[in-house]
Amino acid sequence: MVQEEAKAWFSRNVEGCLDGLYGVAYRLTRNGADAEDLVAEAVAKAWASLATLQDRSRFKPWLFRILNNCYISDYRKKAVRPIQYGYDELGSDDEEDLTELLIRLPDDFLGWWGSPEHELANRLMAADIVTAIERLPEAYRVTVVLVNVEGLSYDEAAEVLGVPPGTVRSRMKRGRTLLQKALWEHAREAGLIGDEHREAGTT
Amino acid sequence: MNGGSDNQNIDDIGCIEAINDLYAYLDGELTDPETVAKFEHHLEHCAACYSRIELETALGRLIRDSAEENAPVRLQRRLRKLIDDL
Repeated sequence: MVQEEAKAWFSRNVEGCLDGLYGVAYRLTRNGADAEDLVAEAVAKAWASLATLQDRSRFKPWLFRILNNCYISDYRKKAVRPIQYGYDELGSDDEEDLTELLIRLPDDFLGWWGSPEHELANRLMAADIVTAIERLPEAYRVTVVLVNVEGLSYDEAAEVLGVPPGTVRSRMKRGRTLLQKALWEHAREAGLIGDEHREAGTT
Repeated sequence: MNGGSDNQNIDDIGCIEAINDLYAYLDGELTDPETVAKFEHHLEHCAACYSRIELETALGRLIRDSAEENAPVRLQRRLRKLIDDL
């Protein structure tokens, strides 16, 4: 009886965060079939280790952490396709460098956007955003998805990733900066930016 | 509106400090009331930072709307069976 109750509770909670779980798995594996397998593996492992869940209100970050660990221990090793990182030119994680970038890049964006802030949204397609996210280095990609898309707090994302909350905070800054740079470059290449701003994003 | 504090007496922070706190503010992670008050006071007086937060808010929404996924029905069925068989 207790077992059945636990299973019903577990099932309800898995269903409650299934879209998010699949979304994170999809961004990690970049493949629908692999994402489904990863979610199934994580759910089976979660049930087997349910006793380790101390605080039931933390079910979501706990399950996401198991998913992330499954990905690291199994899927990443099996990745056939080399992961292409295109944003290394942004340099180190140094906070001062980062601040300088944050100050500079959005100004370029503002020059492009002009006053109506939805202009970018009208010109960029969802596929452009997804491509930019998928090209992010893994550490930033998963952090941006957990916080910006799935709405986890920095504490929860830190629990999922096994890093301090301060690391989540700096990854969010850097990940967003990388995304903005990628979108800016994509927009220039696709001719979405007027000539007057073409040189603004170059360094 | 009387929020209990005198906005005239809030120290202004610079743009660099504001930008450093911007993402934490947007993510609901700037919790210290004094820091939030200083940040919002700066926004009220700095057109550039106000525009930037509008931009960042729109971009955040764009990212969320574009990257959200729905689990396939097939996966829902598979998990129900998996949990039943556990």
